[in-house]
Amino acid sequence: MIFLRRQLPLLITFVMGLVFAAQYYVPHPASEQLLTTVNKWIQIIGGFALVLGVTSLFHLHAVKIRRKEAGWGYSFVLYAGLLGTIAVGLWANGKEAVNGALTAFGWMYSYMMVPLQGTMFAILAFFIASAAYRSFRARSREAAVLLVAAVIVMMGRVPLGEYLVPISGDFSQWILNVLNTSVRRAILIGISLGAVALSLKIIFGIERAYLGGGKE
Amino acid sequence: MPFEMLLGAWVAAGLTLFIFTFLYKDNPLFKLAEHLYVGISVGYTIVKVYDTVIIRLLYEPMVKQGDWSLLVPLGIGMLMLARYFPKITWLSRIAFAFIVGVGSGLAIPRIISSYILKQVEDTVRPLVSLAAEGGPTFTYNLLDPASNLNALVLLIGVVSVLFYFFFSIEHKGPVRVAAHTGILFLMISFGAAFGYTVMARMSLLIGRLTDLIEFADPQYGRASLWLLLATVATLIVWSVRRGEQKEG
Amino acid sequence: MTFAERMLHIDRRIIFLVIGVCTLVPLLYPVGLAIKVSPEVRSVHDHIESLPEGSVFLLSLDFDPASKPELYPQAVALLRHAFQKNLRVIGMTLWVTGAGMADQVITQMARDLGKENGKDYVFLGWSPGVGSLIITMGQDLYKAFPSDYYNQPTKELAVLKGVQNLRDVNYVVSLAAGTAGIETWYVFGKDKYKFELGGGCTGVIAPGLYPLLRSGQINGLIGGLRGAAEYEVLIGKKGRAVAGMDAQSATHFAIIVLVILCNVFYLSIRASRGKADPR
Repeated sequence: MIFLRRQLPLLITFVMGLVFAAQYYVPHPASEQLLTTVNKWIQIIGGFALVLGVTSLFHLHAVKIRRKEAGWGYSFVLYAGLLGTIAVGLWANGKEAVNGALTAFGWMYSYMMVPLQGTMFAILAFFIASAAYRSFRARSREAAVLLVAAVIVMMGRVPLGEYLVPISGDFSQWILNVLNTSVRRAILIGISLGAVALSLKIIFGIERAYLGGGKE
Repeated sequence: MPFEMLLGAWVAAGLTLFIFTFLYKDNPLFKLAEHLYVGISVGYTIVKVYDTVIIRLLYEPMVKQGDWSLLVPLGIGMLMLARYFPKITWLSRIAFAFIVGVGSGLAIPRIISSYILKQVEDTVRPLVSLAAEGGPTFTYNLLDPASNLNALVLLIGVVSVLFYFFFSIEHKGPVRVAAHTGILFLMISFGAAFGYTVMARMSLLIGRLTDLIEFADPQYGRASLWLLLATVATLIVWSVRRGEQKEG
Repeated sequence: MTFAERMLHIDRRIIFLVIGVCTLVPLLYPVGLAIKVSPEVRSVHDHIESLPEGSVFLLSLDFDPASKPELYPQAVALLRHAFQKNLRVIGMTLWVTGAGMADQVITQMARDLGKENGKDYVFLGWSPGVGSLIITMGQDLYKAFPSDYYNQPTKELAVLKGVQNLRDVNYVVSLAAGTAGIETWYVFGKDKYKFELGGGCTGVIAPGLYPLLRSGQINGLIGGLRGAAEYEVLIGKKGRAVAGMDAQSATHFAIIVLVILCNVFYLSIRASRGKADPR
């Protein structure tokens, strides 16, 4: 039983990991067929994984409503939005438009979800301005370099900046294409080496956090 | 103007303004909009996943085209749901092991090829051609990212930043010089990133305000303007009531 | 408190008001300054311009409503260009919450330019899996998407004639707002299936994509609303992106002034403290 609970998952990870790492280098039609079939399966299983993430949210707010904690009215609004969207969506068979005509599901998407999500992120513009004013100070030489680079790029990427100070456009292009590229390249190489190392650790069973909890 | 468009304009403008009220203070209008947003996005995701995975990827191929091999991924997917039952949680590990194993295996050679080999190749190749050609053909146009001078600057940048992040050796002597150069390059890059982030956030705000201006048109019954008045009035009433409650 | 200290602790709602005014006024009273086109946006445009009629163009709208103001205008401009060039357009998305928007933009642009679903374009919609989805598309498009967004079987569609997998696609452009975007299309797609890849992205992730641009892994990059405006200038049809540029200029200058002011006040406080305590 312990084999099934503890060793089997690690064995599956090991075998699958090695098979698909090797598959990349094997051009034989059977290997390509294996790649196609298993990736198709991963798509389907990935869909189930999405469902898991959602249910913890259900639970949290259901508890709030049941216990009538402070702000439970808002949890009720959340549930109403959730169930309303599901009901409307299933009625429209998951389609936002049928033959060019907007369904109720499409209406909810266009006139409720898009403005809500869009505005949630749009108010960040105000916070970035306020944060820049309060904390973007040239406390040291490095901070001053950061500041100057930021000002040049902000000026160079807008028509007014290029009109007033034409060189700012070229300068910001140089900063992006050469200086910024070199840094991002180094970071990309570093992160990729780390990702490869982590993947190898997972395949060889050294890293097991992905298995999650549960009784051994 | 079709009724659903008119109603939609009023609802969209109203919800947009409710969220903007957060800039004044956290208040019931914002909380209402915020919770509605979470509920609707999650509901939308659930509908889409159901339609795509259950209907289009499983039901139709299996029942209408007879592709019964899809029972395997269906089975593995169901194993994942065992997470909810404490006695058989261990079954879900098999599903996770499968996904993570395949994912790691697929990722390793692809990441090595795309990010490590290709990026190093592009850093080094201009210098190899420079070494082959020699002096007189050295191009130093700063505005051309492919010029030899820029290739050298790029190499210095990549190497010095890699040196900065290499903490296994002490940053002393020549390593210290390299690491400090790396920090300067990093600061310039962060400055550029900040500039672009400002650009992005402002664009998002411009987008929302463009919509609000559109909904202030007479054909929508000047939705934005009336709702702005209503929102401000509600905020004032709420502020006053809260002030009275605090004193009382 | 000195004036400088008071100014540094000013109520942040005043700053919000400044930003709000700087955004609203140029939108209501635009000036229309000239927009210079950058080489990275021009590359995408020139590549589409060079594609012969009937070439297969895949546009992956990998963003959600949060990034709509930046990427929707890019999608509009690219689709207009592609439809005008009579390319066969395949639309899809890697982001589940973006499916509705992707459907909307493709249907609308197709209607405006007189294109027919199934014959001139197809919208495949969303499917889970991201990297695995791209690999499956690279192996066999019809296994990844047995039906399109409107449940029509994809095998029978005229627009997909001769397209078995991603190797048969002439140009892929991914409009990305984050992970599950351009990098994913390269790592799981172009690396093995060797199609030409271009990108459009939000301003937040743009600087991180320059290494890919410089190494030729992507052949062009349309960055943010500014990139969309440049593309609109190139195709000669100004839209929302160009209209937003004046407000963009005003807000950027507002931030520059705020940052300079903040540093002036900060340095003056430091200088006065230095005078008071000359150690």
